[in-house]
Amino acid sequence: MNTVLSRANSLFAFSLSVMAALTFGCFITTAFKDRRVPVDIRVSRVMLKNVDDFTGPRERSDLGFITFDLSADIKPIFDWNVKQLFLYLSAEYATKSNALNQVVLWDKIVLRGESTKLNLRDMKSKYFFFDDGNGLRANKNITLTLSWNVVPNAGILPLVMGSGHMSVPFPESYETTKSY
Amino acid sequence: MLSIFNSIPTHMDYKGQKLAEQIFQGIILASAVIGFAYGLIIEQFGWTVYIVLGGFAVSCLLTLPPWPMYRQNPLSWQPALPETTGETLQKPQENLKKKKHK
Repeated sequence: MNTVLSRANSLFAFSLSVMAALTFGCFITTAFKDRRVPVDIRVSRVMLKNVDDFTGPRERSDLGFITFDLSADIKPIFDWNVKQLFLYLSAEYATKSNALNQVVLWDKIVLRGESTKLNLRDMKSKYFFFDDGNGLRANKNITLTLSWNVVPNAGILPLVMGSGHMSVPFPESYETTKSY
Repeated sequence: MLSIFNSIPTHMDYKGQKLAEQIFQGIILASAVIGFAYGLIIEQFGWTVYIVLGGFAVSCLLTLPPWPMYRQNPLSWQPALPETTGETLQKPQENLKKKKHK
């Protein structure tokens, strides 16, 4: 500690250790928090087509078009350890060929500081709702849920499903629109 | 350019070094506690980091330059002995003897 550089080294190393301890403290204060929020999903229109799917080996696959309404208040999730939220709407269903299918239809990134009241009406899906085959036609039960990934400042990234889902049946034939 | 910096005296005596270490550890720990509490209250971790950085800057200012308060207990060195020719002749022989015994 006789020279400036030696003192600066000691000071900087101590500051860094203290900063690491504070970051761990930040993680510990929010590690066991419940990050579920009630979510309200409504579907207004569903349409079904049978088109060529160039990403798979089949001849033609089912392509669904869903128009939905979404409302949720995600403000309780944000605290001092949350940097942003990655929200995504996924559809889950079962077909004859596959027991479980999950398709992401729409997603959004919500940064801290942006408006946290989601009130979306008549939204179209962002991504194609392709089925692996022809399992969407006359499917009785397709469940839409909103989930989110919490991106923290320090710690693990929990994947949380919102409490609230909506199940819709799909139309029996192609190129017909079903309204709810 | 470095030779200019080498010529500025930056030493502190031992009690001064201990005092400097206590000062910066105290300042940084205090700013860490204050910063953690403040960040927790206003729900922004950025403020915690800013307060700790502020504490770091303050302790840099207080402990890096050799202020006079760190030089209050200088070591009392013995006065330098004047060198005579007899001593310079004896010294290499003494060094040789010490090396052999090791």
